[in-house]
Parts: sequence; structure tokens; C-alpha cells
Amino acid sequence: MKTKQLQHLFLRAGFGITPQLVNDLSKKNKKKVVDFLFSTTTFQPLEIDLSELSIYTQEYQKNKTFSMEFQRKSNEKIREYNKIWIERLANSDTLLREKMTLFWANHFVCKNQNIYFVQQYNNTLRKNALGNFGDFVKEISKEPAMLNYLNSRQNRKKQPNENFARELMELFTLGVGNYSENDVKESARAFTGYNHNFNGEFVIGKYHHDEGLKTFFGETGNFSGDDIIDIILKQQQCARFICEKIYRYFVNDKVNEKHLDELTAVFYKDYNIEKLMKFLFLKDWFYDAENIGTKIKSPIELLVGMQKMVPFSFQNTKDVQKIQRLLGQVLLDPPNVAGWKGGRNWIDSNTIILRLKLPSILLSNAEISIKEKGEFEDSFDKYHASNKNQKDFAKVTVDWDFFEDSFKNISFDQMKSLFLITAPNEGTETYLDHLSKSSKKEFCIQLMSLPEYQIC
Amino acid sequence: MKRRDFLRQSTLASGLFFIPGFLKAFENISPKSFGYKRLVMIQLAGGNDGLNTIVPFTNDDYYRSRPKIALAKNDVIPVSDSLGFHASLLPLKNLYDQGNLTVINNVGYPNPDRSHFRATDIWQTASNSNQYWQTGWVGRYLDAHGSNAYNAIEIDDSLSLLMKGENINGIATQNPTNLFKLSQDPYFKNVLNHYNDEHLSEHNLGYLYKTMIDAKSSSKYIFEKNKIASNNAEYPNNQFANQLKTTAKLINSGLETKVFFSSLGGFDTHANQLNSQKRLLEIYATSIEAFVNDLKKQGTFNDTLIVTFSEFGRRVKENAGNGTDHGAASNVFIIGNQLKKQGFYNELASLSDLDSNGDLKYTVDFRTIYASILKSWLEVNDERILQQKFDSLDFL
Repeated sequence: MKTKQLQHLFLRAGFGITPQLVNDLSKKNKKKVVDFLFSTTTFQPLEIDLSELSIYTQEYQKNKTFSMEFQRKSNEKIREYNKIWIERLANSDTLLREKMTLFWANHFVCKNQNIYFVQQYNNTLRKNALGNFGDFVKEISKEPAMLNYLNSRQNRKKQPNENFARELMELFTLGVGNYSENDVKESARAFTGYNHNFNGEFVIGKYHHDEGLKTFFGETGNFSGDDIIDIILKQQQCARFICEKIYRYFVNDKVNEKHLDELTAVFYKDYNIEKLMKFLFLKDWFYDAENIGTKIKSPIELLVGMQKMVPFSFQNTKDVQKIQRLLGQVLLDPPNVAGWKGGRNWIDSNTIILRLKLPSILLSNAEISIKEKGEFEDSFDKYHASNKNQKDFAKVTVDWDFFEDSFKNISFDQMKSLFLITAPNEGTETYLDHLSKSSKKEFCIQLMSLPEYQIC
Repeated sequence: MKRRDFLRQSTLASGLFFIPGFLKAFENISPKSFGYKRLVMIQLAGGNDGLNTIVPFTNDDYYRSRPKIALAKNDVIPVSDSLGFHASLLPLKNLYDQGNLTVINNVGYPNPDRSHFRATDIWQTASNSNQYWQTGWVGRYLDAHGSNAYNAIEIDDSLSLLMKGENINGIATQNPTNLFKLSQDPYFKNVLNHYNDEHLSEHNLGYLYKTMIDAKSSSKYIFEKNKIASNNAEYPNNQFANQLKTTAKLINSGLETKVFFSSLGGFDTHANQLNSQKRLLEIYATSIEAFVNDLKKQGTFNDTLIVTFSEFGRRVKENAGNGTDHGAASNVFIIGNQLKKQGFYNELASLSDLDSNGDLKYTVDFRTIYASILKSWLEVNDERILQQKFDSLDFL
């Protein structure tokens, strides 16, 4: 496979590709590379040590002081969980599963303040990320985090709450305009009584569940929530809606209808997500020039992508939170049930400045070298040691040895191509060419500080 | 034309390229002259308890619903037979007496949302409660009539949805000097000076360059204006007052900014409301007082309209923790020197006829306030920006 195609595949299916992996895979053909991608997708739950919270039993939490104390600790743990999630994204070798988990987290958008429910939800996303979409939706409908987020617990026979039923169709399966208001009303009745116990296990409150006949998409019966989901899956629009979202996320913001038809036909057969993704990555059109280097990286893709090339870790949880907040995407804290819109919506005056400045802030004390060829050259370390500029912005530990090692046989020209999926603007390239090429570290910072680096 | 000249000009003209229907010039009037109208939006974030802000101190239902946290008659600054200000709001009472304040009661919208985030989005985008819009109403105002990020400034570190348009976003800055320093890295300068592409914004890469060019020039412009301006009033020492101080400085510098936005957080008073609200309203009122004085002394108060809102009010009935839970309709303050209807714009809604949650029913849709501001203050087509037709109110 060509290097550009490999880079493209790994930017979309993961967060970029190291020179070593390019080297390993470039001799393989597309089929072999895609097989490799799918050979490393074992489900590994992401878990955090919650033993210090085990004292907050159901009895204990009836006390207001203790329940508030639990809330505070739980929020703290959620921030830690956010941090280890980002570390997982940067370090995991199950990259496609992790990328899909991130995708689904912005599809089945949900937020909760109980770390147990947050963790359980996150692992449900991870477990089903490449599984059967129907089973996935059914599990999501019973997750404690979701039961709370979209008010299913308030959805009772006597007074139905339509929030979940509406979003199920509008955002999770069919898309707006593909169902009637009556479908919302009737399906809400099927989800009445949905609840969970203290341990987060799903229960149906039988006094609150409506056992009557419901008419949904022309079918009538005493439908359960699962039955409703099965009827939704029968609509081809459901497959099309999901495939369109997959297409926009993994291929291009602009949808090619013909390609979308192909995806829909494959997905509608059995709603197998893994098959769909494999089909997509094997398609020739996935590697068409018009689909390469056209998307704007999300803040997480940017942050994790940098870590792939130059491994670094944050020393403090609050720093990684702050950076996400300033960039406009805090994992586990979506703006609303519609999720992050993405694309150009990531970019405003403030986020673009921070995005371009971030590599130097994190890796080189906010300094980007502008030395031209032939100028007196300090060593990288000496140059940056003298500057205390932004040291307090975030404390990071950087593994430059890994970087030096992985780029030792890579030329400056190859670096340019490995860091930038898109050809740089002509003027920008002229400028890059006349910069001093004495330090690969410096050149790495220069490349990551370009608008071109924001593209994937 | 030299490339640099082209870049400079295209930056200035970028609005002309990308905004359809850019017919009316953003402002023909010099921002230093009289008549250059500005809007300052302030959000009391967390959901301010409107009933303990503008207090119905003769209403039995009020005292019955809040045995522990109702404000006693003696603690209220009375202004009418039935309504008075919270004691912390003495500076607002003064503005009221001078005819510089309009209080609009029971402001809300149909099917109110009681989540902070959703309700804030609804207030900032001006959507219906079942719509998820991705642009703020100020952002859409920029799309239609702005040309640069600095036309709308949020005094914060990151930009709220309010300030985001489809094609243009405002810019956020807590500290113009820091933002300037961050954006003026010599490396960026060199890269942007070398950049050559006339098709800015047609593809994503061009859009990134265009946004950075604008961010760099906006932050430089703000920094330079801010440097030469000064404040003419004593401000309290707190973060909110500092935000208003920066706003006043920028207004008095003659910056071409039509909308400013700040917020003061902490109003989510589920527990022990009395003390925290007292402190917050005091911060709010004393800061506003200094801000208004500053503008008055520099002759810019006539052309400034200050609007204060909160994403929702609070439940009429107090809760078990000496606080209140999330509610619905609440009051909005309009401060300025050109108010056509001063004092209380309308009566407080009934405290006995509440919605199914036990919250005040709205009588004024918040978007009718936006419509009035857009039409009568900023003098633009409100329907285009709000994307719906709303009747205007006659306070402006």
C-alpha cells in the first residue's frame, strides 16, 4: 500500500500512523492491511479503581451529607476517567475499536454524574462498537446513564415522558422527518416503566409499564421497547441514517449518494458494524484523492494524534480538562444530546490560535523556532531550557527518546509528508523549505503548528 | 499588487466575500462618534432566583411558598405597591429612579427546559425548546452584518455558542494582552505572510487559514485599542467587575465592536440560597454601578444597552435545603439611557396559577426582547437573524 493511503486509513480508523508501522505495512496490499486493522480489535474494558467509593452504599447515601460527598468524589473520578480514556486512545493497539467507541459516544450521546454508570456506559459503547447495531441500541436503551439522561425513569404509564422515544428515532436511528408524532407517542408507551436499581441493573417497573396495544409504523401489538427497536430496524432508512453518519465521520463531510447507497445495502442486510467498516475500508473510493486530507481534526483527534508521534502524558488531571475545554470538546461532557457538530464548528478565533500554539505549549515551552538556514544554532534543549514562558499552562512528561528513535532514519522531507496528510500551501511550503533543518524535534513542532496539521 | 497587500485587503474585505446579501455597510458611523450603538449581554449563570431578586413583598402566596427563604418586607427596597428590589440591588434602584432601568417580568418560552446546558443553549441560540441550533443569535447577527471576529467580543477564555455564526464567529478574550501574545508568535506571522491562496474558505484548509488571519488581526486590533484606553471609575475587586472594566475600556477605546458578552456564575442555589444570592447580587449590582459610571463619564452610556438574563428562574416553592430548584420564567433587566418604557414593563405573573412543575408561567417570550433589540437598537432585520417572526416590545 502507498504511504499516503496508509496514512489516510490510519488517520480515519485511528489517530495517525508512526513511521515504524508505515514501514511494516507498506509492503502489504490493501486486503492484508485491512485484515491487520481488524485483527487487533479485542474488547478490553476501560476501568478505573473505584474501591474508595465502595463505602457509599445505598443506605449510606440516604444521608444528604454523604450523598453530596459521593457526588463530589464521583465527579472527581469522572475527570480521572476522562484522562485515562484519552491515554487509552493514544496508547491502545485496538485502535479501530477505540475510534469507533469515540464515534458512538458522539452518536448515542449521554452524560451522567455517577462514575459507576459512566464507566458502564462507556464500556457498553466499547463492547458493541463493532457488533450488531440492533443489539447495541437495545443495550443503550437499558443503560442507567441513558435512562437518566433522557428521562426514561420518568416515563410512566400514567404520564408518559417522550424524551427517549423521540431522540431514539430523531438522533439514534432514523433521523428527523422519518417518523410521525404518533410514532413518538406510541413508542414512548412501550418504554414506560424502564428503570434501574442502585447497582445500575436494568429493571422494568411493572406497575408503570403500559401493557396495552400500541400501533407503531403500521404494526399493532403489545410491543415492548425491544419490539419497537426491531420495527425501527426494519426500516431501510435506519441503515441509511447510520451509514450516512459513518460516511461523514470516516470518509467525507460531503456525502456521495452512490457510495452511501453501497454502504446502506451492506448494512441493511444484518446491521453488522464490523462488516460495514471492513467493506468501507476496502472500497477503492475510500482512497480517492477527494476523500484524503479533507476533514478537520476534532480536538481529541488533534491531541491524541500529537501523542502518537511524540508520546507525552499530562501530570495533572485538571490540565487535560482545561485543554479540552478551551479546544471545545471535553469527553464525557457533551454539549447536548445532539453531540458535537464537528467540522468547521470546531474552529473559531480562539480555538485556532490555541490549536496552532498547542504543540509548542506542550512540547517546547511555547517556542516555535524561526531560525533560517545558516543561522547560529543552539541545541533544541538549550534553546528551550532558557524559556519559562508557558510552563504553568500544563505539566507534561514528554518521551522525546521514542520520537528520536522512530524518526532516526526518516529524512526532513519524509517528515513533512508523514505529519501533513495534505500538501501544504505553496507559500507555506516555500517558507518551510528555507527554515533551518538542524533539529528534527524543532521541525516536528514547526509542522504540528501549521493549519495543515489540523487536517486529517 | 503585492501579495502582502492583497492579504491585508482580503482580510479587511473578507466579510464582503463570504456574506451573502452584504448590502448595508456594517456601520457607516465612526465608532467614536455618538450614535454608534453597542449591546452588552450579561448572563447570570446557574439560574438566578427571580422571585428573590424582584420581590413580591405583599403577596401571600410568596410567603406561603417560601416559609424559610422569603425576604421579609423590611429587607426589601420597595418601588411599587407590590414589588421591590433585593437589598443588594440598591445600585439598580438608583438606576430605576433615574429612568435607566426597565425590568421585564416573566420572561421565558414554551415548554421550558430545566437543564442548565440546554436552557443556556436555547437562550443563546434563540431556538424553540425542541430545536438544537448550532449558531447563536449574536453569531447570526455577525453573519449578516459583521466583517471581523472583533465585532463581537466575549470576555472569557473560550467562546460561547451565543457568539458563533455560520461564517463568522466572535472572539473571546479575558485578557487582551495574553491573547495578543499567544496569537503573535513570529512563526505564525511568517507562515501567514507566505500563505498564498485566493480561494480562502472554499475548502477546509483555506477556512483554517482565513480564521487564523482574522484571529491574529482581531487580537492585535483589540490589544492596541485596549492599550490606549482607560477606565474612569473605581470598580470592586472581583472577576465579574474586571470583565466589565475590560468591556468599558474597550467600548471607550472606540473599538468597532457591536456586542459584548460576560457572565457571572454561581446562581444555582439549591441549598442555603439566602447568603449566596445576597453576595452574588451585590457583586452584580456594584459592578454594574461602576460600569455605568465609567461609561457615563466617558460619554458612551447613551449608546450602550445592557441586557441581563439568566437561563431560567427557580421553583416558586422552596426546597428542603433552604434553597430552590430549577424553574422557568424569570426577569430580564434592560439598562440604558434611551428607554421608552422605564421601570416595570409588566406585572409579575400569578403565583397561584403555576405550570405543572410549580413554576411561573411565562408571559413574554425572550425572543421578543431580542427582536426589539435587533430592530430598534441595532437597527437590522430581526426576522432574518432570529429566523422567526416575533412581535417587538415597546421598551426601545
